[in-house]
Amino acid sequence: MLNLVRSGAEGGEFVPPSAKDFELPPIFGDNAFTTKPIFLVFFSVIVISVFFIASSRKAAVVPSKLQFAGESIYSFVRNDLARDVIGHEFLRFVPYLFTLFTFILVNNLFGIIPLIQFPAMSHVGFAYVLALFTFFVFHYVGIKKQGAFKYIKEIMFMPGVPKAAYILITPLEILTFFLVRPLTLSLRLFANMFAGHLLLLVFILGGEHLAQGAIGLKLISPLAFGIGIVLTFFEFMVQCLQAYIFTLLTALYIAGALADEH
Amino acid sequence: MTDNRANKRDENALWTIFGYLLSGLLFWGGVGWALDKWLGTTYCTLIGLLVGMGGALYLVWLRFGRE
Repeated sequence: MLNLVRSGAEGGEFVPPSAKDFELPPIFGDNAFTTKPIFLVFFSVIVISVFFIASSRKAAVVPSKLQFAGESIYSFVRNDLARDVIGHEFLRFVPYLFTLFTFILVNNLFGIIPLIQFPAMSHVGFAYVLALFTFFVFHYVGIKKQGAFKYIKEIMFMPGVPKAAYILITPLEILTFFLVRPLTLSLRLFANMFAGHLLLLVFILGGEHLAQGAIGLKLISPLAFGIGIVLTFFEFMVQCLQAYIFTLLTALYIAGALADEH
Repeated sequence: MTDNRANKRDENALWTIFGYLLSGLLFWGGVGWALDKWLGTTYCTLIGLLVGMGGALYLVWLRFGRE
């Protein structure tokens, strides 16, 4: 079982976890589209759908526990993220923000759920795609609202600045809006998930390796496992926070695109 | 609620500032680096980085410091 997940750990020598541990082999033959992260992403969609359909199917005035859980998450995204940030036009963005939040959250949480234990977002490709969606959404919203010309002009030329200064700052505005924003959005999520998973690997695989060593090392092993468990709870916090921050920044970018002036 | 909203504004300011600083260094540093390559000099990258930093700080001031 371990061989399936981790190659090169045989032979007694401790192989420190590295980026190689994120390249899982295809499950069916050589097809690169059947790796674990891809199945996890599909699985997360099923989990989310089943959960929210089940929690809203028998909606009642006095909610059941399940309905309460579902509604808490929904109202958190709707009120705390969408309404507070975007303002009076928030309602049409709730579906997107809600999907984004639950999708990222569940995929992140897969990183610490026993037997699954792999955050799909630790592959940068998934994070890129999500950031690309947000990128298109907030630019589309801005262009639709203000017209393409005015929207671009608004980004490029901040009012009330001496003309000569535009040479200095206009490239920076363009770079920030069209490259740095989506890039930081995706890299923040990816790097947090990647580093978190690596950290857990270090302590848990290290603990396992120590347990197979000499008697002195065996005594340290529980300590490594203990730290691994503490870090798992820490990871839980990071995973929730990253899902929140991705959604929050998406909402902020949409709010910025909707505003008439920055 | 107001506290909550102020937190989100801070979050926005934080990442906007970070983005400006990053693009300042990338763009003007990149321009300086390209000039160095082209002219065979060594100091343009440094000047570019400084100009980028200055431009980014100016932009931060324009956006957040003027009120």
